[in-house]
Amino acid sequence: MNKDLERLISLHDLDVMISDLQNKDIQKQEKKLGLSPAAAVEELKKMRGELALLIARRSRDMYDQLASHYGNAVVPVIHERCSGCFTQLPTAFVASPDRNKQVETCPACGRFIYWCD
Amino acid sequence: MKRPVFSDWNIKSVNRKAAIAELLKLFPFQSNTQDLLLTALETREQAEPTIVHKGIAMPHCRSILVDDFMIAIGKSEKGIPWPEEKVKVIILFITPVKPSGPDEHMKLIRHLAKLLRMDGAEKLLSADSPIEAASILKFTLQESKQNE
Repeated sequence: MNKDLERLISLHDLDVMISDLQNKDIQKQEKKLGLSPAAAVEELKKMRGELALLIARRSRDMYDQLASHYGNAVVPVIHERCSGCFTQLPTAFVASPDRNKQVETCPACGRFIYWCD
Repeated sequence: MKRPVFSDWNIKSVNRKAAIAELLKLFPFQSNTQDLLLTALETREQAEPTIVHKGIAMPHCRSILVDDFMIAIGKSEKGIPWPEEKVKVIILFITPVKPSGPDEHMKLIRHLAKLLRMDGAEKLLSADSPIEAASILKFTLQESKQNE
């Protein structure tokens, strides 16, 4: 898999983690388990900053724009459709031997797409 | 909450990252996906070790790489440095990122918190088999080589 694509997926998962730990209901349950979600969020934000710097600037800026617009900037391809906007992807995309070997975006919504296992 | 769970009742790894990787291998993912999930779980651990009871760790996250709940329980007789405390039982889970939000993730955490706060943690530490551990957590053991 393309390294930048891997980092974009990791960035997305990290953003989800930060968002979850800022969710009051999840915070309450994590505290019941003896964990400290607020402290973890601060550390995760630092790690997010470091990870983001490893991503090519163009992709990073696009990620931020997409995340701000849609809430999710990276989505899997499911049944040959972008799972963000559900648009059927062009045959050239689906048949390409270079799946996940480069950073691809959905031609309709612009989200980053990847093929999962 | 009857969820299928994978298990490894004889974890051989001697450090946290390797132990998490060992449990992730139970899931039917390619190595690339396993690596990305390991990165996510290990990042969470670096931010704050998820020790939820003396001897029990609970690495967990939501990820776009899974489309269903992935749960694994593991045990190490010798204990694994986490890294400050030794952990003997690991409850690992990854939940999918859904448009509906983190409700299911939260419900699973609440379910486990409730069980562990009662007498589940002590029972889990003394469980002799993965079947018994799964039963304590009210999960259903999934068929896999490690469970046989």
